[in-house]
Amino acid sequence: MNQVNDRSRDIGPYVAAPDDDMIICRCEEITKGEIRRAVHDGMFTLTEIRRYLRTGMGLCQGQTCSKLVKGIVARELGVSPAELEPVTSRVPMRPLEMRIFAKEAKEGEQDEK
Amino acid sequence: MKRYDLIIVGAGPSGLSAAIEAAKRGLKVVVFDENEKPGGQLFKQIHKFFGSKEHKAKIRGFVIGQQLLEEADKAGVSVVLNATVIGLYQDKEVVVKIEEEVHHYKGDAIIIATGASENMVTFEGWTLPGVIGAGAAQTMMNLDGVKPGKKVLMLGSGNVGLVVSFQLLQCGCEVVALVDAAPKVGGYGVHAAKVARTGVPFYLSHTIVKAEGTECVTSVTIAEVDSKFQFIPGTEKHFDVDTICVAVGLSPMSQLLKMAGCKMENNPKRGGQVPICDEYGATSIPGIFVAGDVSGIEEASSAMIEGRMAGVTAAEYLGYMEETELTENLTELDKALDGLRQGMFAPKNRGQNITETEEGIPVSQNLLKHGFVADDEIERFPGVTHKAGIHPVMECTQNIPCNPCQDACPKHCIKIGEKITSLPAVDESATCIGCGMCVASCSGQAIFLVDETYEAGFASITLPYEFLPLPVKGTKGKALGRNGAAVCEAEVIDVRTAPAFDKTNLLTIKVPTAYATAARFFKA
Amino acid sequence: MKNNAEVVIIGGGVIGCATAYYLAKNGTSVIVLEGSDHIGNGGSSRNGGGVRQSGRDPRELPLAMYGIKNLWPTLSEELEVDCEYHQDGNLRLGKTEKHRQILQGLADKASACGLDVRMIDGAEVRRINPYLTEEVTVASWCPTDGHANPLTTTLGFYKMARRMGVRFITEEPVKELRMIKGKVRQVITPNNIYEGEQILVAAGYHSRDILGTVGIDVPMTQSLLEALVTEAEPHMFDQMLGTADADFYGHQSKHGSFVFGGSSGFEGCNKDNGTPITNSITAPAICRGIMKYFPDLADAKIVRTWAGWSDKSADGVPVLGKVEEVPGLVVACAFTGHGFGISPAVGDQLCKLMLTGKTDVDIAPLHYNRFKAKI
Repeated sequence: MNQVNDRSRDIGPYVAAPDDDMIICRCEEITKGEIRRAVHDGMFTLTEIRRYLRTGMGLCQGQTCSKLVKGIVARELGVSPAELEPVTSRVPMRPLEMRIFAKEAKEGEQDEK
Repeated sequence: MKRYDLIIVGAGPSGLSAAIEAAKRGLKVVVFDENEKPGGQLFKQIHKFFGSKEHKAKIRGFVIGQQLLEEADKAGVSVVLNATVIGLYQDKEVVVKIEEEVHHYKGDAIIIATGASENMVTFEGWTLPGVIGAGAAQTMMNLDGVKPGKKVLMLGSGNVGLVVSFQLLQCGCEVVALVDAAPKVGGYGVHAAKVARTGVPFYLSHTIVKAEGTECVTSVTIAEVDSKFQFIPGTEKHFDVDTICVAVGLSPMSQLLKMAGCKMENNPKRGGQVPICDEYGATSIPGIFVAGDVSGIEEASSAMIEGRMAGVTAAEYLGYMEETELTENLTELDKALDGLRQGMFAPKNRGQNITETEEGIPVSQNLLKHGFVADDEIERFPGVTHKAGIHPVMECTQNIPCNPCQDACPKHCIKIGEKITSLPAVDESATCIGCGMCVASCSGQAIFLVDETYEAGFASITLPYEFLPLPVKGTKGKALGRNGAAVCEAEVIDVRTAPAFDKTNLLTIKVPTAYATAARFFKA
Repeated sequence: MKNNAEVVIIGGGVIGCATAYYLAKNGTSVIVLEGSDHIGNGGSSRNGGGVRQSGRDPRELPLAMYGIKNLWPTLSEELEVDCEYHQDGNLRLGKTEKHRQILQGLADKASACGLDVRMIDGAEVRRINPYLTEEVTVASWCPTDGHANPLTTTLGFYKMARRMGVRFITEEPVKELRMIKGKVRQVITPNNIYEGEQILVAAGYHSRDILGTVGIDVPMTQSLLEALVTEAEPHMFDQMLGTADADFYGHQSKHGSFVFGGSSGFEGCNKDNGTPITNSITAPAICRGIMKYFPDLADAKIVRTWAGWSDKSADGVPVLGKVEEVPGLVVACAFTGHGFGISPAVGDQLCKLMLTGKTDVDIAPLHYNRFKAKI
């Protein structure tokens, strides 16, 4: 069993750190301390962190913070960042207005360049 | 649904190179790019590229971009701009936002060449306006013509940090410091040296403690770190700045591949999450290929070759060329890529502590720690010689894959040999005519023409100069040493520009003979 | 490591986590085995967050009413997490006479079970939610319905259960149940054997394969449903929404984003690649569905779309309760896309069932043995 799957593994107590109030996810304004506490609440995967706190769920979809979050979670768990599976990528790659997403070009109307 | 032989996502160096190769073999190719202008990062690269001729060495990045676009156009590639690929679905379906609609397309083959995005680091105040990525700074300067700030601190001594620092200097910003938490300069020594000689101090084993300011950055504090990257108390340094530029690496933008279901891996050596692929870019899904930084961070020259590999591989996959022809093509491309992946900065040497050059010469420790070769180190390199009359001095001290200087000299004064990573040496039997072609051809701005017997008591030094305003003949000022400190009085005795120099001006200054080996820059 | 517990729960979704929580609260030792890498990775993290009673089948309605009355109001406090529970009513919207008939039928059934659901006209609809288009002429209105955040709720149950000593193991897919001396006792995974006095199978569609290893079958299919979320927008409304046409449903979250689900019409036969992958035609269809009711949202930016499998039972309601012919076996699956709203009630009632053999709510109509040939 790997280090992430046993959710009862002792990762030690949460110890407050001076930079806990530093914003990590700028879109959703999630701090380092919130992320660290979430790990101690049992959120051992980046996907769970994201679902629990909304990190990387904002407009940039984690483009900026995903590596930062990964580093924090890995350190808290005492594992290598490479052991943590990145979160799923979702359509759309860039935020897209509903009216545009709704409007599908009809066959034959596409630019023939 | 509208179908193409090949859909390429990303019109950067790898995407365009792939498109050209595929279209030349008869494939119907479309390239989508979300930007207004094609070329990816190439159009922000105003410096001359490294490599050899086949890698488009000594050509400036944006010119390579123009060449690729022309080639693509000639080959019949359709490049659609302002076209954001929002999803890569099953059955190789690409959904693209173009203007106010989404379009569905299918590709018999797909090449993802989406490049990379910049990493961030956190420090107190990192979210203040004024903290920007190096890529953003480049976009502002080179695409939008906007000066990113007046006083800038650069974090990151990799090639991006070094190149962008130089560009900031070129656009008139003051670079107050170049800072890196690592103990050694990460990028090419020649890139570092051209920044250092203008007077930018390097702080290795230092990083940002905090950015200060209420509404925006007004100053920054850095401090030295120990081997565990912990701050050493009492080593704080403070700078007034309005901009902090962050160049701490890139991450592959591989989301589309993950979305499509390609098998992925976490590979720190490749920069993060990348698709599992073979050496020619084939992913776990047949018909989906990758090229360039999206499959592992390297640089534009190798991205172009990877693009060409993916392009021909896709052509063979779709039956537009025979397997034997593919093998021939790939063998040639392998050789080209292998050429780039040599030397001290080769991917295989990442993280290695290299103490000697291939020639067995101890590497300059001062270069790694302070960004410039110390006066007492420079003499040991083969490009640095002394003789009566004008002659080239090549302060090229690391094995990097680059050789334009050897072809630039019409008199064959410079020899590198077969191995393009070898340090350039002077052929004592040939006679320098002082034409300056080597000075202008050196992408690292590391070649100088020195005449220690210019006139009684004075030497002349010809140096590459890419700043404005260009000093005129007769301008008096200071000669700066490799460390950027003024060493002596100097006078401009000649200014040369020529189409063949491709915008690298040649400034010749006169300094007392004693400073012939020390003076390497001019400040009016 | 101890692989024995009084109860082994197969499935770390909201049902498994909620049941584990209530069991642990009652002092029972529990092991939860989750097949995927993440807690709450199936429908639990992919649904639209509805906590409603209206529109439900009378067989499962009592569970919904029980949860809304007894559990949801204090859940955030209990789980020490913001479940974002809102009890601001459910509007089921209609535009045509046919829609009105559908809505009336659903309302009548619910009223018969004692639920306050009434039909309202277009004007009243827009008094409740002024952003709805004039084309909406009718709706059913259930003021005691609402919505919550499925992600924080699921992970909140997990967090508290874990804190009380429940062992959770992820990436531990169950291959087989094994009978020992006439009772189901062992749970076999590729690398381990777990033992429990009672075994709860709450593994969504996978439950079918797992139950099959002890000769039990629950008739169900999979359906790949999709939803999307917008960027945060200023606060507009708090109701849960649905339509008679079932062309979209959703709500505005506390965060400001709109979470909407919908349909392309191909949900039952959409292709997947082994993961719940979105289909290129669905999100545009959902967007068109939303804009038919909320023209003002046309400029809201979609930031994410996703898909999830719903385990659809043959008759549209879950399979819940003890499997008497296999002593020790309890089942909770086939929630058919509306499991989240009743999950606290299911957890609470399954806990009581496993510990006392009794429930407060009559779950007999959801018994596994109800499926009979039609003639």
